[in-house]
Amino acid sequence: MIAPPLPIAEEVPFQAARPGAGAAHVFRQLLRRPNGLVGLAILAVFTVLAIAPELFVGPLETAVTATGPRLGPPSAEFPFGTDEVGRSVLNLTVHATRISMVIGLLATIITVGVGAVLGILSGYVGGRFDSTMMRIADFFLVMPTFVLAIILTAIIRDVLGTGSKEILGMRLSLLVIVVVIGLTSWSSTARIIRSQVLSLRERAFVDRARVVGASAGYIMRRHLLPNVMNLIVANAVLTFAGAVLTETTLSFVGLGDPFQPSWGQLLDAARSVGAPGLGKWWYFVPAGTAVVLVVFAFTLLGNALDEILNPRRRGRS
Amino acid sequence: MSGAAGRVAGRRQWPLPRDADPDAPLLEVEHLTTHFRLPNATVHAVDDVSFRLNDGEALGIAGESGCGKTTTALSLVRILPSNARIVSGTVKLFGIDLVQKSPAALRRYRWREIAIVFQGAMNALNPVRRIRDQIAEPLEERLQVPRRDARKRADELLELVGIPRGRGSAYPHELSGGMRQRSMIAMALACDPAVIVGDEPTTALDVMVQAQILELFERLRHELGLSLILITHDLSVIAETCDRVLVMYAGKVAEEGAVSTVFRNPRHPYTGKLLGAFPNIRADRRTLDVIPGSPPDLREPPKACPFAPRCPMARDLCREVMPPEVTLPDGVRVACHLWPAGSDGVTPAWTTPSKPQLEIGADAGVAAGADAGAPARDVA
Amino acid sequence: MGIRFLTRRLGGAVLTIVMIVLLNFVLFRMMPGSPERILLGRVPGVPPAVVEATKIRWGLDKPLFPDQFVAYLAATAKGDLGFSYGERGRPVADVLLQKLGPTLLLFGLGELIAIVIGLALGAYSGWRRGGIVDHVGNAVSLVLYATPYFLLGMGLLLLFATGLGWFPTFGMTELGVTHASFIDLLIDIGRHLFLPLATVSLGLVGQYAILMRSSVIETMTEDYITTANAKGLTDGRILRAHALPNALLPTVSLVAINLGYVVAGAITVEVVFNWPGLGTLTVEALEARDYPVLQGVFLLLSITIVVANLIADLVYGMLDPRVRT
Repeated sequence: MIAPPLPIAEEVPFQAARPGAGAAHVFRQLLRRPNGLVGLAILAVFTVLAIAPELFVGPLETAVTATGPRLGPPSAEFPFGTDEVGRSVLNLTVHATRISMVIGLLATIITVGVGAVLGILSGYVGGRFDSTMMRIADFFLVMPTFVLAIILTAIIRDVLGTGSKEILGMRLSLLVIVVVIGLTSWSSTARIIRSQVLSLRERAFVDRARVVGASAGYIMRRHLLPNVMNLIVANAVLTFAGAVLTETTLSFVGLGDPFQPSWGQLLDAARSVGAPGLGKWWYFVPAGTAVVLVVFAFTLLGNALDEILNPRRRGRS
Repeated sequence: MSGAAGRVAGRRQWPLPRDADPDAPLLEVEHLTTHFRLPNATVHAVDDVSFRLNDGEALGIAGESGCGKTTTALSLVRILPSNARIVSGTVKLFGIDLVQKSPAALRRYRWREIAIVFQGAMNALNPVRRIRDQIAEPLEERLQVPRRDARKRADELLELVGIPRGRGSAYPHELSGGMRQRSMIAMALACDPAVIVGDEPTTALDVMVQAQILELFERLRHELGLSLILITHDLSVIAETCDRVLVMYAGKVAEEGAVSTVFRNPRHPYTGKLLGAFPNIRADRRTLDVIPGSPPDLREPPKACPFAPRCPMARDLCREVMPPEVTLPDGVRVACHLWPAGSDGVTPAWTTPSKPQLEIGADAGVAAGADAGAPARDVA
Repeated sequence: MGIRFLTRRLGGAVLTIVMIVLLNFVLFRMMPGSPERILLGRVPGVPPAVVEATKIRWGLDKPLFPDQFVAYLAATAKGDLGFSYGERGRPVADVLLQKLGPTLLLFGLGELIAIVIGLALGAYSGWRRGGIVDHVGNAVSLVLYATPYFLLGMGLLLLFATGLGWFPTFGMTELGVTHASFIDLLIDIGRHLFLPLATVSLGLVGQYAILMRSSVIETMTEDYITTANAKGLTDGRILRAHALPNALLPTVSLVAINLGYVVAGAITVEVVFNWPGLGTLTVEALEARDYPVLQGVFLLLSITIVVANLIADLVYGMLDPRVRT
């Protein structure tokens, strides 16, 4: 039955989120929650696989080094079966971990970086700048950014040409995806950070700093940023989940790189040879499961972080 | 529809519940005890509270926040959170014990017999429905009154509480705070309840509007013979509107009696402090009598007088034995060792205040302890 | 509903559409397949008729702003979106129109089903918190949220079409078959529609259920629910008349915002099932670098979302009197 809140004798103490609450402290809190624990565990596994795939499955197989049958089902020698040129699907999936995770990470850095900077600026400066910025942000929220991403990626690829230049171990074509995701997903982060800054701006410590003569840049860097850091972190985790999903989808429609396959690229390959229709489930189920697990883990983690760091959500379950 | 035509001076129009005892007092609460179950403890929010409300009377329940007055009122019709339980006691409306009723049977009594006007009508009204519809709702849903008649009645009620007829089609956010509170009162009147409970009905309002609301209550009592329970921490409201007052402290009854008697001659030291703590705009200037300390933690209710730590008259007896509830010859009920069983109600058991308290509960070191209990001094 | 409210919303929508058209125009200039390059013959394989038509249409001998932009605006407003590079130079507008129907069918129906089921599930979950339905439903919704639509589609295809053989594996109708009657045609479409529809609905249901659930939980802590309870109303009445109308409000806004993200899923689901709609068209155009078609799709989808948002805003205005002033 629904009813008024408990009239207990003493008030539940209100704890504001302390800036720099200590990563160790937060980490311990995460471990105490079931969603935090599961999320961390899953991510740990995938991080290990991403860092050193060769340790587990050897070097990335290519069409030249493939030894297995075409589209062979799982067997003792090939636990996840083989693809259409005979490569071990296990090998491909594990190596794809690094690609998908790194793209997700880099894209998140851009998205959250751009979003946070614009959010803080917009929230603090206010006025025409703010309303214009928010109009633009809303614009990005409304339009089908996916189609835009497709078009942009295709255009940039064509302009840059197809070389095999690599930066940070990633081919240029994949980096394009990173940049495009970053450029099209910043608006929701910006909005969230901006609201937080709006409420912080009214607080006394900002006024004091202003009176003392601190410049806007100083205030934003030393006062506002630490206080929204918690929000940024929680948002970044959830953004990571979204970035992995977006990259997977972009690769699925053909913008992936067959030489450095991500999970999305594997799924695209599977579809092109008609794996679902032919019943060759082993080709796409591993990569698909990996995507679901990683996104699921990040979402759990993001929710757990939000519970821990967001003072307004405390005391509600 | 005879009922929809409204009340005629004094008597209710709807029939009494079937099991009602016409000779019983309107509302009789005896030894009501309500606990809240927390993960690690139990909060004894209401402890052995008894009182009676007669037909046409207005009872004020006074006390600090957290003393259990709201929980008492909500326990009457069991509008409690899921972890709350009425542990013992009876709540007899027309002689019918509501505590024994199953939730389904209890529903019959909600609003139709006991209606509540909540504090802060800001959020107590549904923001997306019109005022008129919300007032008509109990008529339609609980009394099966057809929509048109219910709407008409709603408009009549709005007029009764002083809201012009046309405003019924407004939404809550379009009305001022005072008008919203009046609407809540109109809504409470909808089913002609036996008792209306006002939970801090004027607290969220400014002083002028407060006066208007209190005036409204007066008028309704007069015209409709309304029986009222007013819960408030503001004694001036009780002084103005109520016949009897019940003072609560830490979930228990401290003192209860006619307003004129209690306010002129408070027996319980807590009542005295409450009255003293209230600034009087007409009296001479004097220091504000503050009650140092804070109420006890209700998760571990003390076995002795709960007010002892803050009481200027406390003796060892008070800290060891729970004072019994005693009814004095002039009808006042009090739970204090100053007034033991058999007391004449005129002379307390002792009159000298205790020595200055060295420890006054949580606020040790508050200077006010030194003059605790001394009568008001003139500070020119 | 106030005139000011309406005009403000409409004005906002129009402004957004103008910005989209502008973006489209800028993109067009950036593209490798832009008119100048066609003229200079840098894009191979384009029929000469298209080159001529393009030159005339875009007025390429005139300056960029304002002449070319105005020409572009005028042409777009008339429905002339240029010509496809492939498909023997068919007008883009024609191509889009042909593929629009199947997409509307799939997604209109999918959204509808998802909204009805999702909101109902979410409301029930939020109302009866902590029950088995709540926990299981929540877990399932979270997993569904983490699953890309196309993956879901592939799984369903594998299980029900290939594995169990209950449904066909691709297309909207059987190839090369003439149908005896309209009913037969409907049945054929229905059989083909089932799996992609299930995919879309499942993908969306999870999101809407989660949204509605937290909205209901939030609403239940409000004071007017306590009042409704004190009034002695039945649980059902409180839910229907008090909790739901308020819980729906944030859900409506979020459904509208969600549309932008749904598009990605939309495209990929069509690809998995080879459903002949805008999604498959987009991916084919992408492979062929058929930029005019891609542009046209972008424009069409953007306008659809803007219109859908406008409708959602109006619905919100109908539900919540507080914004109408």
